[in-house]
Amino acid sequence: MIGAGTMGGGVAEVLAASGCEVILYDVTREALDEGVQRIQRRLGRQMKKGRIEEAEAEEIQFRIRPTVRLEEVAPARWVIEAVVEKLDVKRELFTRLEEVVDGESVLATNTSSLSVTAIAAAVKHPERVLGLHFFNPAPVMPLVEVVSGRMTHADTMDRAVSFIAALGKEPVRVKDTPGFLVNRIARPFHSEAYRMVGDGVADKEQLDRILRSAGFKMGPFELQDLIGIDINYAASTSVYDGFFQEPRFRPHPDQRQMVESGALGRKAGRGHYRHGG
Amino acid sequence: MADKVLLVGDGPLAEETAAFFREKKVEVWSLEQAREKAVPDIAAVIDGVSGPADWKKEGLRQAEALVFEQVPIFTSALYTCAAQAASWLNHPQRVAGFSPLCLREMKTVEISRPLQAEEDSGWTARLACWERWGKSVEVVGDEPGLVFPRTLALMVNESAYVLTEKAASAKDIDTAMKKGTNHPRGPLEWADRIGVDQVGWILKGLFEELGEDRYRPAPLIRKMIYANRLGRSTGRGFHRYR
Repeated sequence: MIGAGTMGGGVAEVLAASGCEVILYDVTREALDEGVQRIQRRLGRQMKKGRIEEAEAEEIQFRIRPTVRLEEVAPARWVIEAVVEKLDVKRELFTRLEEVVDGESVLATNTSSLSVTAIAAAVKHPERVLGLHFFNPAPVMPLVEVVSGRMTHADTMDRAVSFIAALGKEPVRVKDTPGFLVNRIARPFHSEAYRMVGDGVADKEQLDRILRSAGFKMGPFELQDLIGIDINYAASTSVYDGFFQEPRFRPHPDQRQMVESGALGRKAGRGHYRHGG
Repeated sequence: MADKVLLVGDGPLAEETAAFFREKKVEVWSLEQAREKAVPDIAAVIDGVSGPADWKKEGLRQAEALVFEQVPIFTSALYTCAAQAASWLNHPQRVAGFSPLCLREMKTVEISRPLQAEEDSGWTARLACWERWGKSVEVVGDEPGLVFPRTLALMVNESAYVLTEKAASAKDIDTAMKKGTNHPRGPLEWADRIGVDQVGWILKGLFEELGEDRYRPAPLIRKMIYANRLGRSTGRGFHRYR
């Protein structure tokens, strides 16, 4: 597992909990320690809630071996990368990884907004590169989008789908297209909500109430407050740009203005709604 | 005494609308029944026709001829906005739009006020009908598809583009939206439930009324309607049913 951030640590925990031996890599000792502590805290909470036994939590931690030396990932059959969403960084990392790991190993990227194909193109054997898009928080969310880049071999896809299912997660297959499935199909849920509010069809509270009444656990505005209005805006612009400004995906000016104003949702204390205090 | 409503339209969605009223112990009369035997105490006209506009117009005009001029007329606003439907009638001020989608499941009902109707005591009385029928009323702007049908139709449309591009299977699309972002149903199974033709009407209404490319119905949806793959009601939609 490359990257011990929120996503990387979460995926490492999922892997270890299902019995995999995990080598967890990050560039600095500090980042690594922080990641490991985050996993420990989460397992501690799980124990308190009685979801897992102490022995089990210990075993999970024991299966995660942290390292700052990339060469140590050499024995890995599966390499999953969850570093910063920058194409250059990922491409450079994949080039180095290819030198380190065995030719049979699968190289996966957890990108949500970059092209898997563009990342894969950096290596000599792109047929063994694919996307494994986990959702945050990885230990909780069941879905994993298994993304086939232009050069990904069909066998690599089949192996990845079986691997994800063996982790107890729900794999879906999708071609390398902007936003993959969830981020793309959920675009209208968010952008049309802004549009309807902007055009006076409904106000935010009302729109959330109507969609909750239709069966959604949360309306678009309360959901955006939870996930972060900036995060959702970034998803909007990335899908919009990915499809060369296809009008269906055009973000709403209010989205940008919310971000500019610093009303980013729960984490900022205010978003579409006020939170805390 | 039980309310009586005059229902315009047939097909699965109108039947479901009728079923909702029967559950609420409201008597449902069809146009034929009301023509044969005059019913003086109709409480409201319920127009469950999405489209085409000609059928809707014809049904609404026939209904209007059978009831007193103060009787509220609730017209399905999936395809046409209430203002358009009101424009066909002699007494447009008593019209309100509503969404018949998932009427039995939803606690709320979306109602839209056409420009022809004032926000007066008559309007309040029209809203009170739905409260009497057990709904909490959300008055929303008068645009085709109102809020929930519009939201759902656009997600179905996007899913149809994904299918067209062969980027994923229908089953995986539904799984992704349920497991990846907690939607209660996948967009395609939902479309099969409400009718692919209904999704088509909503998109067509938005596209015609607002004139923007973002509402353009995916060609796959239009072809499915030609091929009668309307969902559960015809045994096949985005998924197959026995």
